Amino acid sequence: MTSILRRGFLGTAITAPLVTAATLAFADGHEVTISHYFTGELGLKAFQEQIDRFEAATDYALKDSPVGHEDFKTDILVRASGNSLPDVFSYWAGARVQFIVDSNALHPIDDMWDNAGLDSVVAKSVADSATMYNGNRYLVPFNYHYSGVFYNKAVFADAGIDELPTDWEGFVALCEELNAKGVTPIALGSMNRWPAQFWFDYLLLRTAGPDYRARLMAGDASYDDPEVHTAMGMWKDLVDAGHFAENANADSWTDASDKVARGDAAMTLMGTWITGYWNGLGLVPGEDYDFFPFPSISEGVAEASVGPVDGLVMAANAANVDGAKAFLEYMVSNPDVQAAWSKAQGALSANVNVDPSNYNSVMLKAFETVAASEVFAFNYDLATPPPVAEVGLSMFSRFMDDPSKLDEILAQVATDASAAFEQ
Amino acid sequence: METQNRLWRVLLLALPILVFSVLVIWPLLSSFYYSFTNWNGFNRDYEFLGLRNFAKIWTDRLFFDAIVNTTIWMVAALVLPTLTGLFLALLLDRQVRGARIFKTVFYLPICLSAIVVGQIWIWIYQPDWGLLNTIVKLAGNPDFNYAWLARPDSALFAVIVAWSWQQTGLSMVIYLAGLTSIPSEMLEVCEIEGATAWQRIWRVVIPLLTPSTVVVVALSMINSLKGFDILYIMTGGGPFNSSDTLAMHMYNESFKKYLMGYGSAISVVLFLIALTIIGVYFRQLRKVDEIYG
Repeated sequence: MTSILRRGFLGTAITAPLVTAATLAFADGHEVTISHYFTGELGLKAFQEQIDRFEAATDYALKDSPVGHEDFKTDILVRASGNSLPDVFSYWAGARVQFIVDSNALHPIDDMWDNAGLDSVVAKSVADSATMYNGNRYLVPFNYHYSGVFYNKAVFADAGIDELPTDWEGFVALCEELNAKGVTPIALGSMNRWPAQFWFDYLLLRTAGPDYRARLMAGDASYDDPEVHTAMGMWKDLVDAGHFAENANADSWTDASDKVARGDAAMTLMGTWITGYWNGLGLVPGEDYDFFPFPSISEGVAEASVGPVDGLVMAANAANVDGAKAFLEYMVSNPDVQAAWSKAQGALSANVNVDPSNYNSVMLKAFETVAASEVFAFNYDLATPPPVAEVGLSMFSRFMDDPSKLDEILAQVATDASAAFEQ
Repeated sequence: METQNRLWRVLLLALPILVFSVLVIWPLLSSFYYSFTNWNGFNRDYEFLGLRNFAKIWTDRLFFDAIVNTTIWMVAALVLPTLTGLFLALLLDRQVRGARIFKTVFYLPICLSAIVVGQIWIWIYQPDWGLLNTIVKLAGNPDFNYAWLARPDSALFAVIVAWSWQQTGLSMVIYLAGLTSIPSEMLEVCEIEGATAWQRIWRVVIPLLTPSTVVVVALSMINSLKGFDILYIMTGGGPFNSSDTLAMHMYNESFKKYLMGYGSAISVVLFLIALTIIGVYFRQLRKVDEIYG
């Protein structure tokens, strides 16, 4: 027995380093490690297909470790803290990337960007806002989304609504008309807090404008300013008038989407990923649902579109720098990859060579809306640093719980946010 | 031979000690170390802040809310399953028809993971079609749609109920085992002497169950201290931090705000609190041991 044990120990002791050495040798030349949060049923399959294309076109082999969207935020931090980030990982452009660039955890990709001529491939509006940090390129945009007011066409038709609102008065009148006919106008699922942010984003952007919002997001303005009170006050008026479905904090974004799909509510302010979700339920874009842009409010304020950019970034200590760069370049510059991916995700492609005819009618309209916008702004939790975003996101759900405490909430958030900026 | 045996003992002990050191001691010491820094998880060039993270704790409103919630959680998570477990054990210890089935049914939840239990109770509490509100609606309140987990007044208590539902089975089984060790003659004598049922339970059964209570309290306390998963799945500390316990607050500060240094400082405080509670408990345990041998 003892000798068997000893032999076992000896065998393990000899083979383990050999296996490790062999793995490392393989990793050195060909293997590129990657982690991402595209784990929805359609997304995971579509992402694997793009990986297969890349592997078929190059000598590299990808070692993929996907993690669910919400868990990814923690997982990537755990890997970073253990100094074991994958070569490439997906990340949200904006303040989150800025945060890890400032922490020296990312590898710049300027040389790859220039060599591949990505300036002529990536849409300028997205490239300007999403890829440059501290004067260097760090991210390739894999896809982006647009947030709009998605509505159930049958519900609108049954309520006799044939004109979509373009200004605030029209929007409020629409809500009143729906309410008068016994239809809940707006569904919001703010259980996970972030779905509420689009209301704050658009109301602030449409009243105070993109410059003020950028100052607020950077800590150069206060949450107790009149601009914020005005925007939140308009939101409060809608809630007080009974235009939002009850118990928003008890619903997830899919619960709210289901309410609209079922006709229990008429519309929801959400990102274009809702099209992927609804299409999966069998709804037909353009027939069963459509969207309209968030209405204009103040004259003379630049019309902004809001949404996230999903990007791919490279770890500062990537083991396979060449392989990682090759993967990033391939994923953004190959129009077939971009077309297939954006179609599967219900997303928009940042690659200008993707033929817009790949989009369904709703996505095409979203594409055209963004193209016509003067500004593309990241949604709240991607526009302000993570510690501040946590404060703001809690503000939204606290507000939805009891809008009557708005003044008290904003005073508290002003204090908490300025403390968070100092950290 | 003796030398060889000793060598094997050391070798075999080395593995668990190594695992314990890597998985418990090392992270513990690391937390102490990082609690003095401004590490955000990503940056390698963090700075030493001395005791600033600990000073910040005293000005952190959410920390004190979390202390209150943790106290409520620990007391409720200790008392509720213990009392309900004892109550069920006393009921089922008699010759009730189908007692074995009831015992199995009451014990089953402890076999489920906290995540599964959390999800079941999320459905029960769902405001529109959940079991709880459906019962209230059927009882003559058709518009009732209170969102138990989404309201700050009820979220923590709703999770405590779910937690107690799961933990009760464990207390019940331990108490049932304890009840078998009480001689039936003793209870019969009490009855002959004219003791009421209540007096028998209060004066005889419960004191004789003290060794079981010691085990139940120890297990409930340990379980409530590490009760993070069910809160995480059911409320995530929300709505707006109203059900944050210290463990949730530490998690949010570390992983959502990327303040690993500050989160480590909170974990050090949590560690010291747990150490104090366990220390006091073991002191009391020694006294009980002296009485019951």
